[in-house]
Amino acid sequence: MNPRPALGREDRRIWLIIAAMAILGLLFIPFSQTLFGLRFTYTVRVVALGGAILGIISGALGCFAVLRQESLLGDALSHAALPGVAIAFLLAGRELSALLIGAGIASWLGLRFVSALLATTRIKRDAALGIVLASWFAFGIALLAYIQSIPDASQAGLDHFIFGQAAAIIESDVMLVSAVGVIALLVLLAFWKEFKLVTFDAEFAGANGFRVGLINTLLSTLIVVTIVLGLQLAGVILMVGMLIAPGIAARQWTHKLDQMVILAAVFGAFAGGLGAVISALDSDIPTGPMIIVVAFVLVLISLTLAPGRGLIWSRLRQRQNRREFAARNTLRDLYRYALAHGAADTPAPDSFIRGVGDRSAALGLRQLRSEGRVTLGAAGWQLSESGISLAQGDRRNQRLWDLYRRYAYELGLPAVAEERGRDIASLLPANAVARLEAKLEEGADS
Amino acid sequence: MMPVERLLIEFLLTFLSRDELNAFLRSPQNTATLVGALIAVSGALLGAFLLLRGMALTSDAISHTVLLGIVVAFLLMVHGFRVEGDTSSPWLILGASLAGVGTVALTELLYRSGLVRQDAALGLAFPLLFAIAVILVSRFVDDAHLDEDAVLVGEIGLAWANTNSHCFQNCQSVTVTEDHPAAKMTRQCVNCRELGISPRDERAEFIEVCGNCGPYSPAQAWNAGLLDSEPALVFFPKSISVTLAMTLLTLAFVLLFYKELKLSTFDPALAKALGFRPGALNYALMALVSLVAVGAFDAVGSILVIAFFIIPPAAACLLTDRLALLLLLSPLIGAAGAVFGYDLARGLLFGFLPIADGIAFVNRLFGLDLVEEWDSSISASMVLMIFLFFLLAWVFSPRYGLISTALRRANSRRLFDDQVVLAHIHNHQFTAQAATELRVETLHLHFRWTQRKMGRVLARLRALNYIRIVSGGAILTERGEERVHRFRATMLEAHNMPASLA
Repeated sequence: MNPRPALGREDRRIWLIIAAMAILGLLFIPFSQTLFGLRFTYTVRVVALGGAILGIISGALGCFAVLRQESLLGDALSHAALPGVAIAFLLAGRELSALLIGAGIASWLGLRFVSALLATTRIKRDAALGIVLASWFAFGIALLAYIQSIPDASQAGLDHFIFGQAAAIIESDVMLVSAVGVIALLVLLAFWKEFKLVTFDAEFAGANGFRVGLINTLLSTLIVVTIVLGLQLAGVILMVGMLIAPGIAARQWTHKLDQMVILAAVFGAFAGGLGAVISALDSDIPTGPMIIVVAFVLVLISLTLAPGRGLIWSRLRQRQNRREFAARNTLRDLYRYALAHGAADTPAPDSFIRGVGDRSAALGLRQLRSEGRVTLGAAGWQLSESGISLAQGDRRNQRLWDLYRRYAYELGLPAVAEERGRDIASLLPANAVARLEAKLEEGADS
Repeated sequence: MMPVERLLIEFLLTFLSRDELNAFLRSPQNTATLVGALIAVSGALLGAFLLLRGMALTSDAISHTVLLGIVVAFLLMVHGFRVEGDTSSPWLILGASLAGVGTVALTELLYRSGLVRQDAALGLAFPLLFAIAVILVSRFVDDAHLDEDAVLVGEIGLAWANTNSHCFQNCQSVTVTEDHPAAKMTRQCVNCRELGISPRDERAEFIEVCGNCGPYSPAQAWNAGLLDSEPALVFFPKSISVTLAMTLLTLAFVLLFYKELKLSTFDPALAKALGFRPGALNYALMALVSLVAVGAFDAVGSILVIAFFIIPPAAACLLTDRLALLLLLSPLIGAAGAVFGYDLARGLLFGFLPIADGIAFVNRLFGLDLVEEWDSSISASMVLMIFLFFLLAWVFSPRYGLISTALRRANSRRLFDDQVVLAHIHNHQFTAQAATELRVETLHLHFRWTQRKMGRVLARLRALNYIRIVSGGAILTERGEERVHRFRATMLEAHNMPASLA
C-alpha cells in the first residue's frame, strides 16, 4: 500500500467550499428570521429538523444512485412504495413505523421484480422499471380508493404520502427517521470501501473476491430505506428528486467520492429543510414539490458556478484556450516571417498577418500585444525581445518534440503522450531531454 | 370537432335508434370502457415503438412534462382569456403536446452538455416540471376538473357526464332577450359600490338587468324549459371524440409510416443512409406520444397513462417476435385490460369473480375486519388488469414464458445427461477398463452424480433402448451406437470439423 498522499491544494479548496456551504446553510436560519420574518415556532422547528435530517440521509445515499446511473430506479422504487403504505394501513392502522415497513417491503418487492424480469425475459431495464412503477402505483391508488370508500375509516392523512405533507410531521416521527437514518449511515460507513468499489468497478471487485451481488443488494436496500424514510415528507412521486438532486449538484464540485457524499448531505439538508419549512408555512403547497424546486435551484447553481466543471468555468476556460492558441500561432507566423525577411526583429506588415482575414489573428495579436511580446510600428508588427525569446523557445520545443517522435524508440525514451503545447522538459526526465538536445546539436532535424 | 362528431353520430344512427344511442352513451360503464380502450389502443401502438427503441421511460418523462403544459394552458385559459377552463379543448391539447416535445428536446440538450448523465437528466428534469405543475395546481387552480386527485387518477368514471349535445330534429335555438316572457329581470344598483352606500340609500340608482338572457342551444333551451316539444338530442361525451380522434391519428401514423418506423427502429444507421430522416420521425413519434398523454390526461391522469404505453407492448413482446403481430397484440391486451378493468373497479375480477369474496377470505385467514365491498379507482384498476395480463404472458408465453423456459431447460439438461453417459459408455466399452468403468453400481462415481440421478438416467436410456445391462455392466445397443455416431457427426458439423474425425 502506498502511504496516504498529502492533502493536495485542490482537495483543501474543495473542503473549504464544503465547510463554507455548511456554514452558509446554518446561517440561513437567523437570516430568514430577520429578512423574511420567518418565525421558528415549535412546529416549524420540528418540520425543518425533519427535512434537514432526511436531506442528509437521502443526499448521502443518493450519491450512489447517481453514480451508478440508477436515478430512474429510484423513481420507480419510490412510486412502488405506495401499495405498501395502503396495505400496512389496512392491517395495522395509522402507525408510522408500520406504514414505513409496509412501504419498504412493497418497494423492495418492486426491486426484486425488476431483477426477476431482467433475468428471465428480454425486456429491457427501462421498460421493466416502467412496468413496476406504473402497476405498483396503480395498485396503491386502487387500495387508497378502497380505503376511502370505507365509511368510518380514519384514513385522514394517508394521501399525504403521495405528495408529502410537512405539516403532518410530529416530533416522534423525526426521532424515528433519525434513528433509522443513523443506522443507514453507519452501514454506509461500515461498507464504504465495498460500496465505492462496486460503484466504480464492479468487475474488478468481483475479480478480487468481493461478493458483488450481495453488496449490490445491500446498497439497493439502503436506497429503499432512504426512500421509505422520505415518503412522509416528500411523497412517493417526487421522493426521487430529494434522492438524486443533491448528488447531482455535489457531483459538479468535486471528483472525490467522500467529498461528494458530504457535500450532497449538506445540499440535501438545505433543500429538505427549506422546502419543508416553506410548505409548512402554507398548507396549500405540498412538501415534495417544494423540496424539488429548492433542490433544483441548487443543481442549477452548481451546474453554472461549480469551479472546473460548471458551465461558466468551462466557457471561460474555452475562451482562455482559444486565446492562447491564437497567440501561439500568431507568434509563430510573425517569427517565421521575420526570419524569412531578415533578422528576428524584422517587422511584418499588418496586412500580411491579418491576411487570411480570420478572427484568430486579431485575437492573437491583441493577446500578444497585451503581454508586451509585439509592438505595432509604422512598418508593421515587430517582435519585442521577450517575444523573440518566447518564439525561439517555442521553436526549440517543437523541434525537440519532432525528434522525440522520430527517435523515442531508438533512444529508448519513456513513452509519454505527445502534448506539443507543453514544454517537453516538463514531461520527460532530464536525461531524456538531454539526449534529444544532443540529437538537436547533431543537426538531426534538418 | 363538432361537425365530425355529428357525422359520426349520423353514421351510428343508421344502426341504432336515438334512444338506444343515448342510453348507451349515458351508461358510465360503456363510456369509461370505450375511452379506456381507445387510450389503450393508441398508447400501445406508440408504446410498441418506444419499447423497441429502448425509450420506454420517455413516455414517463413526457407524461410528467405534459402536466405542466396542461396546467399552464388551463391557467391561461381561465385567467388570460377569461374562458371556461376545459382540459379537453383542442387548443389546450395542442399547446400541452408542444410543451411535451419541447421538453424532450430540452433534456437532450441538458445531457449533451456532458455535465449530467441521461438518466439523471430525466430523473431530475421531469420531477421538477411535475413539481412546479403540482404547486401551481394546489396553489392557484380552484376547479373541480383540475385538482391533485385528477392529476393522479383522472376522472374516467365521469367521462359520460361531460358531453357535447347534438340536435337532429325539432331543433330550435332560443335567444332570450329582455322582452322574452321567460326573461328574469332583476334590479341592480349601479352606483352603490362607487359611493359606498347601501341600496336603501336614496341616492342609489337602479337599472333592470336580465339574469338569464343570451343564446340557448337546443339542449340548453329544453333543459331551461323554453321549448314546448322535446328536440331530438344526442349527448356525445367529449372524451370519446378526443380519444377517438387521437386513436385514428395514431393508427394513420403507424400505417402510413410503418416501413419507415420499422427501419428506423431496428437500424437507424441504415435508415439515415437511405435518406429516411430518422430524427424527424423520432420527433413525430414524440409529438404523438405527447398528444396521447394530453388526450388521456382527463381520463387517467398523468402517471397511470405510462402503464398504457409500456405494459401492453412489454406483454406482447413476450409473445411474439414479429413487429406486425406485436402491433396487433399490444392494443388488444391494452383494450382487454380496459374492458376488464371497469369490472375490477366495481368489484368483479374478469367480470364474474367477486373481489369481496377474496377480502372475506383474507379476513378469515388473518382474523381481520376489512370491509367486504370493493369499489375502487377505475383507471388504476384498468392498469392492474393490464399488469395481470402481462403477468399471464410472462408465466405462460409459449416461447419466452417462465414455464416453457423451465421445461426447455429441464429438457436440454436431460438431453445433456443422456449424451454424456452414452459417450462415456461408447468410449469405454470393449476396452480393458470396461469392467471398472461401466459397472452399473459404481457408474455414478465417475460423473460425481448421486446414485439416484444415475439410476434415473440409466432407466431412461434403457427405456429408449439405447443401452442394455450385460452382467452388471452397461453397453450400447445398436440404436445407442447409432445415436452416438449421429450426435458426434452433428457436433463435428456444428464446429466445422471434417467428418472423417468421427
